[in-house]
Amino acid sequence: MELVASLRKNLLIDIPADLPYDVGQMAKPDSLGQFEQLVLTAILTLREDAYGVTIHSEVQELARSKTISLGAVYVTLDRLEDKGMVASWLSDPKPERGGRAKRCYRLEALGERALQESAATAKRVWDVVAEIWGKEWAKEWGKRWGKEAG
Amino acid sequence: MFNGPSRIVEAIIAVFLPPACREEVLGDLYERYRSLQQYSLDALRTVPLVIMSRIRRTADPQLVLIQAFTLYIAFLSAAWFADRALLGEQRGLLRLAIPAGTELAGLILDDVYANRGRSSLLKLARGPAVGLGLAFVLEGVFWASDPNLAVPLGSMLYGCALSLTVSSALRMMFPPGADQLQGVSAPAHWLKQAGGTLGNARGASQVVFVIVAVAIATIWVAYQVWKRG
Repeated sequence: MELVASLRKNLLIDIPADLPYDVGQMAKPDSLGQFEQLVLTAILTLREDAYGVTIHSEVQELARSKTISLGAVYVTLDRLEDKGMVASWLSDPKPERGGRAKRCYRLEALGERALQESAATAKRVWDVVAEIWGKEWAKEWGKRWGKEAG
Repeated sequence: MFNGPSRIVEAIIAVFLPPACREEVLGDLYERYRSLQQYSLDALRTVPLVIMSRIRRTADPQLVLIQAFTLYIAFLSAAWFADRALLGEQRGLLRLAIPAGTELAGLILDDVYANRGRSSLLKLARGPAVGLGLAFVLEGVFWASDPNLAVPLGSMLYGCALSLTVSSALRMMFPPGADQLQGVSAPAHWLKQAGGTLGNARGASQVVFVIVAVAIATIWVAYQVWKRG
């Protein structure tokens, strides 16, 4: 509620006192688990074409060696939607899907922010580890990733 | 050439999928179809997780806890009234927990498979009725296989009547609040905060009210029974 008080004081705008939720929370997304990061990254990559099957393939590719089940992707998508990080809607039915609709997903602002924070944290971890274990180690891993990415 | 799963296999899988996500999951499974074996394996791996996710979305932990407490109290009161010796037996309390737990499972599953949009008082009583149906089936299995685990018929009937009344009343007070999120495009987290089933101060005061009401009703029943005996 501090943000509301500050807005009221500085902008002289009329904000109702009984706001149903704390607007300040919009700036503080929950931290993400590793699988959630993969799913959000997949949605970010796929843009307009993000739905169950494509998200699963993308996550499978990002996870490399691990086998990912489609069900695990659904569970994570539901959780991310509950957290307000992604939004979903049903598309039109398609004959190649047996006349059934797709549930498409897109990244919400909260999800983008959470993913940015995760990426920044990963970068900080990488910098510290590379500094301690040396430039050779960092180069070797860089080469290995390059090879894996083809 | 048709390259998809047979209608029968699809229909069987559709029965197990909650209606809220049936359309997209069946479509995704169809799109991934390579062979019947791969399709069945895919479905076997996917469906349980989809159901679990649906339970997580539809079940409110606080409400489930209240329901569990209420149902168990209902069966305890019934045993106190109809067959008090059961309470003193070695596994008596555990035996009473079985129909209460089964009814609770029925309530949760009814919410998972409920078709949202059309709400009525009769529909709210359907969950407890489904739960009691399951409890009776399980008790029937016990009566046939291991009567030591079964609850005596008198206690079972009284317990069912009491739990049906109490759990229906509870559901009318706290209607299942699922799918507030899927019908709209606003972020779910904020919607929950703006007035989820029990996610606010009003919900908390309702919980306290229900617990107090149940406690008073239990004390009253116990007092009446004590006065008679």
